Amino acid sequence: MNKLKPLIDVLSATILNGPPGWEDREVRGVFASDLISDILVSDGEETLLLTSLLSDQVLRTADVIGAVAVVLVNRRHIPAALTKAATKQGLPLFSAPLSKFNACVRLGPLMEMA
Amino acid sequence: MSPVQQPEEDISLRIQELAGNLKIRDVMTRHVFAVTRTCTMRDVQTIMKNNAISGIPVVDSNHVVGMVSVHDIMSAFEQDWMADAVADHMTTGVRTLSEEQPLSFAMSAFSKFPYRRFPVVNRKNELVGMVTLRNINVALIQELSRQLATMETEGGRVTPPASSDSCIFYRTYRLARYDFESGGKASAELREQLRVRGVAPKTIRRAAVACYELEINIIAHSHGGTLTLYIDRDCVRITANDFGPGIPDVEQAMTEGYSTANDWIRSQGFGAGMGLPNTKRLSDEFAIQSGVDMGTMIKSIVNLNTSEELSDESK
Repeated sequence: MNKLKPLIDVLSATILNGPPGWEDREVRGVFASDLISDILVSDGEETLLLTSLLSDQVLRTADVIGAVAVVLVNRRHIPAALTKAATKQGLPLFSAPLSKFNACVRLGPLMEMA
Repeated sequence: MSPVQQPEEDISLRIQELAGNLKIRDVMTRHVFAVTRTCTMRDVQTIMKNNAISGIPVVDSNHVVGMVSVHDIMSAFEQDWMADAVADHMTTGVRTLSEEQPLSFAMSAFSKFPYRRFPVVNRKNELVGMVTLRNINVALIQELSRQLATMETEGGRVTPPASSDSCIFYRTYRLARYDFESGGKASAELREQLRVRGVAPKTIRRAAVACYELEINIIAHSHGGTLTLYIDRDCVRITANDFGPGIPDVEQAMTEGYSTANDWIRSQGFGAGMGLPNTKRLSDEFAIQSGVDMGTMIKSIVNLNTSEELSDESK
């Protein structure tokens, strides 16, 4: 089991919403997808969700599957509304300029180790 | 446990009920194009084309004496009658409806006769409007929305079905076509309701995802509809009802990967053709009924406190 903090660090991700105690939230798995349909079919628990989608539905979907946090990859400019919605939901939200593939590559060894 | 039975709703009865207080006058189009006997078929064709209408009444001092339909115009083209007066080629013996009649009269007129529009007259038998199926559908949906709005302002706690005295939570949500903004409200509330009751996270997730899939289905694929949540001690019941267009082949719609989603829906991250199969997979009980041009009703039940769930959690 991984803590969220080292995973965010390895991605050099920017914190958009970090509710108190986010660092210690536990992550069991990572799911990377730009298709909400696929995220909804996924079965993993305590998931860290990686996506380049920027719609409101991403956060709702994360909520519905009980995701631990969301990292918006491949994106530099994040709509303010998205950050605001994450704050309201109490969902940790990050952005990373890395591509989804590169983000997964960096997370891989950490997830393997756990 | 025995699943809670969905009260059998007689749809036609429900529609009759909705139409109950409405009169034809309330739903008809008042801005009507009409022509006199001496106008030519070409005049009628021009009016139809410019105003995107497919049937025009012919009047003589405000009394309906005939109708010209697109079909009549096509015959006129074929027979080279376009320069003739409408009086020579119009359909006569037109059935009219009275503006005082209840809306249900118009509804039965549409099912009894092959016409797609009826002229509406007042007590003096003068033309005052036209009524099409579209008028009726719009009126019914407006009436339904009005009733739902009343429900919502009253806190959404409408009287639950009489049979369910163990009901813990009952609420209906209204969902409009393409209103992705509203998608997720019901599932968020469902998640919270189950969380405060200490339901196992796995079960919460199943119920919330099933609910979300059904919300998105209504938003992405229907003309709009409602989603009802019902929670009691034993289960969550999610009922999704929409106003059409209906699913021609339910079996196909239940196949993984089959989707009718357009590019816009896909651009929102949906439309992989997994919604219905995924909902069924997550449900302990699942039922779907659909009628083309009528709508779709889906029921999903997720059992709470199953022994399987407990053993899963203790792992």
